[in-house]
Amino acid sequence: MATIRHSLQTEIFHPIDERLMTFVHVYELYKKKKTSNFLCLTVTKEAPIVFYIHQEEKGFDLHFDKVYKWIAVNLQERQTFLVILWKQCMNIMTGNKPEFRNLPKEWLMSYSNNVPISLKSENDVNNVGDNVVIVEPEEYQALSEKEETDLEKMMLDLGFISNNAEKFIEKLTNQLSILDGENLQSVLSSEQKVVELINQLNLAINEVANLEFQLDSYDEILGHVRTTIEKMEQKNVLIQIVNKNYDKLLLQLEKVVHQLELSPKYQTALTDADLTNPTGLKDAIAAAKELQAVMNAEIHPALVQLTAVQEQKKKFDKWKSKFSHILSRHLNNLFIHIGNDTSKLKLSGSDLILPVRSQFHKELSGYTPLMHWCKLMERKAYTALKKVYTSSLGKLYERDIKQFMEEAKYRIVARIEREQWSQDIDVDERTRFDQILEIVLSQLEPVCLSEQNFCISFFQLDVFSSSTKNTQTTLDGFGDENLHVPQKTIDKKVNEEVRRMMSEIFGCIELELLNFITYYEKLDSVYCMSALIHLSEHVMSAQDTDSFLSITFGSVLVHVKRSYDKYMQTQEKSIIESRIPRKSKCGILPFVSNFEEFANTAENIFKNTERKTDLDKWYVRLMSTIFETIQNIAAEHPKTPPEVIKMENFHHLYALLSQLKISVLDGHRKEVKQKYNEALNAYVTRYFGRPLEKLNLFFEGVQGKVAQGVKESEISYQMAFSKQELRRVIREYPAREVKKGLDHLYKKVDKHLCEEENLLQVVWRAMQEEFIQQYKSIEDLIQRCYPGSMICLEFSIEDILQFFSEIARSH
Amino acid sequence: MSKKTGTQPALHKVIMVGSGGVGKSALTLQFMYDEFIEDYEPTKADSYRKKVVLDGEEVQIDILDTAGQEDYAAIRDNYFRSGEGFLCVFSITEEESFQATQEFREQILRVKNGDNIPFLLVGNKGDLYDKRKISIAEAQARAQQWNVHYVETSAKTRENVDKVFYDLMREIRSRKIDDTKVSNGHGKEKSKIKRLKCCIL
Ligand SMILES: Nc1nc2c(ncn2[C@@H]2O[C@H](COP(=O)(O)OP(=O)(O)OP(=O)(O)O)[C@@H](O)[C@H]2O)c(=O)[nH]1
Ligand SMILES: [Mg+2]
Repeated sequence: MATIRHSLQTEIFHPIDERLMTFVHVYELYKKKKTSNFLCLTVTKEAPIVFYIHQEEKGFDLHFDKVYKWIAVNLQERQTFLVILWKQCMNIMTGNKPEFRNLPKEWLMSYSNNVPISLKSENDVNNVGDNVVIVEPEEYQALSEKEETDLEKMMLDLGFISNNAEKFIEKLTNQLSILDGENLQSVLSSEQKVVELINQLNLAINEVANLEFQLDSYDEILGHVRTTIEKMEQKNVLIQIVNKNYDKLLLQLEKVVHQLELSPKYQTALTDADLTNPTGLKDAIAAAKELQAVMNAEIHPALVQLTAVQEQKKKFDKWKSKFSHILSRHLNNLFIHIGNDTSKLKLSGSDLILPVRSQFHKELSGYTPLMHWCKLMERKAYTALKKVYTSSLGKLYERDIKQFMEEAKYRIVARIEREQWSQDIDVDERTRFDQILEIVLSQLEPVCLSEQNFCISFFQLDVFSSSTKNTQTTLDGFGDENLHVPQKTIDKKVNEEVRRMMSEIFGCIELELLNFITYYEKLDSVYCMSALIHLSEHVMSAQDTDSFLSITFGSVLVHVKRSYDKYMQTQEKSIIESRIPRKSKCGILPFVSNFEEFANTAENIFKNTERKTDLDKWYVRLMSTIFETIQNIAAEHPKTPPEVIKMENFHHLYALLSQLKISVLDGHRKEVKQKYNEALNAYVTRYFGRPLEKLNLFFEGVQGKVAQGVKESEISYQMAFSKQELRRVIREYPAREVKKGLDHLYKKVDKHLCEEENLLQVVWRAMQEEFIQQYKSIEDLIQRCYPGSMICLEFSIEDILQFFSEIARSH
Repeated sequence: MSKKTGTQPALHKVIMVGSGGVGKSALTLQFMYDEFIEDYEPTKADSYRKKVVLDGEEVQIDILDTAGQEDYAAIRDNYFRSGEGFLCVFSITEEESFQATQEFREQILRVKNGDNIPFLLVGNKGDLYDKRKISIAEAQARAQQWNVHYVETSAKTRENVDKVFYDLMREIRSRKIDDTKVSNGHGKEKSKIKRLKCCIL
C-alpha cells in the first residue's frame, strides 16, 4: 500500500507538482476488459490549490457532470478516498458545494466532528467498519526526494537506526537549537550588509535614469532622420511618375507624328491623280487607302484638338477634297457616257432575249474601291455620283426595255399576220402571248438581278451607316454609331436602300409591263387571265419576296387581278344583259354555247396553277347567273315555249359540264340534269293534252267526281257524264282525227325544237309513251265507270302504233 | 360570251340499239366523256353531240342512246327512221341479248327500206371473258350473214370504243358519198355536184 502510494507520488505526481492525497484501487464498471485503475486525489503544491481526481486505473461511481462508474477493489480504500474527497470539498470549495449521495454518515462522523454535514443517509448496504486511519491532509507533508535522501544521509551520518528514535530526536533537537542560535547571529550580522546593498541599489537606479535620458535623446535624433527619409521617398515617386509621363507623352507624340504622316508619293498620287489608265488608277487606289488610313489613325479624341493635328488634318482634307473632286468628275463623265449609249440592242435572234449589260459593269468594277472610299470620305460626292448613276442607267434601261417590249409585241403580231388564214387565230395568238409574256417576265429577272448585285457591291449598299457626316474618320470625331442599332433594323434599312435605288433605275418596268398587258387586254380581255397566271407564278416563286422586282411584279399583278375580276364581271354582265333572241326558234342561247369556249380557254390557262381557286369562284358565280338567265329568258321569249328553252339549254349545259369535268361545278352538273328532266316532263305533259283535249277534259271531270265521292259505277247517272255524253265526245275523235292530231303535234314539236340540240327524237319518244299512257288510262276509266256499256274509243292501240310508224316513215 | 361560230361541219347520226343492260349507255358515255359508270340506270332516250376529227376532217357525231326496254317496238320506228347508222349492241355474257339483235336488225331494215344500212354488230362487255356465252365465231357468223362487221368492245376498259364509233362514221360517210353519186345519176342539183367533183379531183 505504502509502496504504491510512494511510487504514484514519485513517478506520476511529483513531476507535475502535485501531491497525492489519497487513492483508491478501482476498475471501470462498463469496460469489458477489467483492467484495474487507480483513482487518485491530488492537490497542487502551490497556490492556487487545485484538486484533481486522476484516474490511474480502478474505480466506482462518482457523479461529476458526467457519471463515472468505478468499482473499488478494496472497500477500505474506497472509504478512505471518498471521505478525503468529501473533506477536501467541504474545506476548500466555497459556494456550491458538490453533493455527496449515499455516503454513510458514520464515515464522516468518525473523521470530522466539527464539520457540518449535509449528506443524505440512505440505507447503506456497503457500510463498513470505521477503524481506518486517515492522515489529515494538513498534517501530512510528503517528503521530497532530496529531503528523503538528506534525511537518510543525516541518519546514516549520525549512525542511528530506527529503533533508536528517541536518541535521534534528541540529537536532532540539539542540532536545531544550535542552528537557531547561529541563524540569529547571522541575521544580526547581515543588517549592515543590507544597508550597503540598499545604497548600492540606489546608485544603480541613478545610473539607469541617466542611461534612459541618453537613450531618449538618441531616439529624438533618429525620429528626425525618419521623416526626412520619408519625404525623400515621396519625392522620388513623383519623379518616377513624371518620368513615366514623359515617356508616354513621347510615345504618343511619336505615334501621332508617325501615324499622321502621309508620304509625298501618296500626296502626289492624290492631288495629280490620273484615273484614265490602269496604273494611275492603281496608284490612286493605294493612295486613297493610305489617306483613309492616316485619317483614321488611332489617336485619342482629345489629341485631335491639338493644333498640330488639326493642321495636319487640314492638309489631309485638302488632298482629300482635291482627289474626290478628280474622282467625281471622272466617274460622273463615265456614268453619263454610259447613259448616253444609244446603241440598239440586238434582238433579232430567234429567241427573244433581253441582254444583260455586263460590259459596263466590268468597266466600272475597277472603281469599286474608290466608290467605297468616297462613301466614307466624301459622302456628298458619293451621293451625287449615285444620283447621276441612277438617272443615267435609268435612261439606258428605259431604252433597252422599251425596245425589248416593242420587239415582244412585234413577235406576237408578226405571227398573227403570217397565220392569218389559220382557223384558230385566237388560240394561236393567245398561246404566243402566253409564251412571250413568260419570256418577258423571266428575261427581266436576270437583268434586274445583275444590276442589283452590281449596285450593292459598287455603292456598298449592304454596309449601313446611320451617320450623316460627310467624312467618317476618327480625325473628324467619328466613332462607330451603328453599335446601338439592332441588326434587324440595319437589314431593313439596307433592303429599303437597295429597293429605292432599283426602283429609280428600273422605274420603267412597271409602266412598260402595264402598257404591254393593257395593250393586249384591250385587244381581248381574255389575256388578263394569262397575265394573272404568269405574274402570280413569278411573284410566288420569287425567292426574295422583298426584292424590287417581286414588288414591281406584285403591283402589276394587283392591276391584272383587277382586270381579271373586271373581265369576269363583264362576262357575268354580258350574260345577264343578253337580249332575248328574236328568232321564232329560240334554240341554244349564245351565252350557253359560248360558255364552252370560255371554260376551255380558262381551263387551259388555269390548269395546275395555284390560281385555280380564283377561277373556281367565278365558275360558280357565272353558272348561277347562267341558270337564272336561262329561266328569265325562257319566261320572256315570245314564241318558243319556256319548257323548250329550258329543256334545250339545260341539256346543252349538262353535256358541256359532263365534258369539261370541272370539279367545282359537279353539283351544278347534277342540278342541270334535274332541271333538264323537269323541263322535258313539263313540255311533254303540257303539250300533249292537245290531240285528245275534249276526251281529257271529260275524264278529268269524271275523276273530279270520283274524288268528290261519287261511286265509279254511278258516274254514268251524272248528266254531264252520261253514256250519251261520252259517246258524243268519243265520236269527235275518230281514228282519222287522231292521226291528224298526232301529225299536227309532231309538226309543232319539230317547229319548237332546234336542230342543234337534236332532242326531237327524245321528246317524240316521250310523247308517244305519254299518248299510249293516256289512251290506256281512258280505256281503263271507261271500263270502270261505264261497265257493260260496250262503249270504247274509236281507235285501238294498234291504230296508234300504226300512226306512229306512219309518222316516222313520212319524214 | 356572245360570239358565233361559222359553217357547220358534216353531221353523222348514230343510233345505239340493243337489249336493256347490254351497255349502250356505257359505250356512249365512255366515248363522249371518257367515263364509266358501274351503276345501271335504264335509259329512255338521250341525245349526245360531239365534234370529232374523222380522218383529218372535222365532223359532228349525233348519238341517240335508246331504251333496251320498250313496251311497243313501233315507238322505235321514228328514231330508226332518223338514224343514219346503227350500233347494234349485245352483251357477250347474255344469250338473250344476242338473240334480240335479230329483231332489231329486221326492224331497222323495215323502217329504213333497204339492207345497205351503215351498221355494226357490237359484242360488249368483252372484259368479262370468263362469263362469255356467245363465242366470237357465233357472232361473226351472224355478222357475215348480215354482211356487216362484228367488233367486240368493253365500255369498262375502253377497248374498241372509239373504233366502233369511228368505223360506223366512216361507213355513214361513204354511204352518203354513194347516195350523192346516185342523186347525181338522177341529174339533181348539177351545180353543186360539179363543185364536189372538182374537190375529189
Ligand atoms: N364489266 C362491264 N360492265 C359493263 C360494260 N358495259 C356496261 N356495263 C355495265 O352493265 C350495266 C348496264 O349498262 P348500261 O350501259 O346502262 O346498259 P344499257 O344498254 O344502256 O341499258 P338500257 O339503257 O336499259 O338499254 C351497267 O351496270 C354497266 O356498268 C362492260 O363493257 N363491261
Ligand atoms: Mg342505257
